[in-house]
Amino acid sequence: MSETIALPKRLRAAEVVSALREIDQKNAGGSLVVDFREVEEFDSSTLAFLAHLAACQPGITAVNIPEALTRAEARFARSPDGSCWPERTVAGPSGGRLDRMFQGLADRFLGRLRILRQFLAMLGDELYHIGRYLKGRRGVYPGEIWNQMFFMGYGSFPIVCLLLFLVGVTISITSADQMRLFGAEMYIADLVGYAMLRELVPLMTGVILAGKVGAAVTAELASMSVLEEVDALRTMGLVPEKFLMVPRLLAITLVVPLLVAMADVAGVFGGIVVARVTFGMLPSAFLKQMVNSVDWTSFAWGLVKTVVFGWAVVVGAGFKGLSVGRSAEEVGRATTESVVLSVTSIIIIDCIFAFVLY
Amino acid sequence: MDIIAANALAVGYGDETILRDLSFGIPEGLITVILGVSGSGKSTLLKTLAGLLPPLAGTFSFAGAAVDYSSERSLGALYEKIGVLYQGGALLNGLTLFENVALPVRMHYPEMPEDMVRDMVHAGLAQVEMAGAADKFPSELSGGMRKRGALARALVLDPAVVFCDEPSSGLDPITSSRLDDLLLRLKETFGMTLVVVTHELRSIERVADRVLVLNDGRLHFAGAAAGLGESADGFIRTFFLRKDHHDDA
Repeated sequence: MSETIALPKRLRAAEVVSALREIDQKNAGGSLVVDFREVEEFDSSTLAFLAHLAACQPGITAVNIPEALTRAEARFARSPDGSCWPERTVAGPSGGRLDRMFQGLADRFLGRLRILRQFLAMLGDELYHIGRYLKGRRGVYPGEIWNQMFFMGYGSFPIVCLLLFLVGVTISITSADQMRLFGAEMYIADLVGYAMLRELVPLMTGVILAGKVGAAVTAELASMSVLEEVDALRTMGLVPEKFLMVPRLLAITLVVPLLVAMADVAGVFGGIVVARVTFGMLPSAFLKQMVNSVDWTSFAWGLVKTVVFGWAVVVGAGFKGLSVGRSAEEVGRATTESVVLSVTSIIIIDCIFAFVLY
Repeated sequence: MDIIAANALAVGYGDETILRDLSFGIPEGLITVILGVSGSGKSTLLKTLAGLLPPLAGTFSFAGAAVDYSSERSLGALYEKIGVLYQGGALLNGLTLFENVALPVRMHYPEMPEDMVRDMVHAGLAQVEMAGAADKFPSELSGGMRKRGALARALVLDPAVVFCDEPSSGLDPITSSRLDDLLLRLKETFGMTLVVVTHELRSIERVADRVLVLNDGRLHFAGAAAGLGESADGFIRTFFLRKDHHDDA
């Protein structure tokens, strides 16, 4: 004998869910009658419920369906043949689990390779555009290089100097005890000078540029892409990759040496302060000791490294900024990705420099 | 004579074809309106005609010369002859209106004396009734003013064809009507060819000489705009009379 489920007067989404739960409990393969007699208040979930019972649930009969509900159901959207809507499936790699895993990994790897190729292509394009610009002085808005130098240099100078001063202080404090242990207090000048000029100033300056300059460049270019300003430049016969990127690349190239010089001074000054307070070492003695052990090549290599980091930041930022689509949410995503890309590139390049230089 | 001719053109993004088998001509000195429902591919077609999006198939020629999307020289020649008014204006936010309008002149003719640039820019701004706003930044302008400013920039080098992507979108009826007047004046005074993408019925009725109707991924109709409201075609009737064409059946 079949069981009957009497539906309530109000049959909206919450009641439909309860009814479905009851149907699941009672329908153990036998027949079931769902009685709509009392139903007066309904919505689209009720109509979907009715369609679900009619087409997709063998052994279940809907009875006493009110006329109003029947009329509404006639106009309810359904698949062309009146059957259940097909389940949505997401196309994925075919084959077994292991196959799918390897296929997924291979797709990701190839995707990364494609991005790397595009990044390197952009780097090559930018070198070409800079060469063309230096030769013909065309295709870049007059004064834009100065604007960018002001933003990148003057805007970054206080934060770079402050952070590098603190790094100088930190490295001196953390090494002071060890130095004292071996009676090598005077060598703190060597340590600070060498570490700051060769490694910490370039690395920290690069990371600060990635966070400050790289993020700003990506956000600006991505917004321009979304607002069709990049398309507008192109249809004006300009090359956006030149018009927008060359001033930024030239600005970073010109500004970085000044930033590095100031950051070196700030970092060494931090070491001098700590050496004076901790060991009573005179600044003149600190500087004399440092100049004796750290030669100009350390400064020069630090400079070269930071210029390369600056380029990695600006090219990475431009790459991410100019490759966004048309939605505003991509601006935020591109900005985050740009900072990650820049910092990763900086550390990889630094590692390569370490292998080459030491 | 047709200044733009498309033959079996297919446009879209990547693997997705949005419009296929488009063959049409755009006559010189007239306003051609590309119309269709939202998502019908009007702006995508405009991007292809403006040299921003390579076609997936077919050919497109401008002033008798085939446009080769893989050749910088060919695209450069196209960009020299066109101006584009984008949906939001696309003025560069870091530059004043004057500098925005002067940008194409300064970039293409860097040797041009500044007083000549100034004259050209002020003439362009006067043409769109924006002479008083030359020193304002785009963020200080209303939507309609930004579009008129952008139109001045599109016109400053006297292009043969101006493409306008939904010029009336987001504008009130009065500003929209002033923009339509401006487009008509450009055609009548300078004999300029304009290609306008829109679905604003009032604009279509006022400015269109010819229409290209896009529907269901294809060119549904290409011809004169006059009498389109009385067309027997179900889709066009729906479009113009906002009447469900199934009612005709």
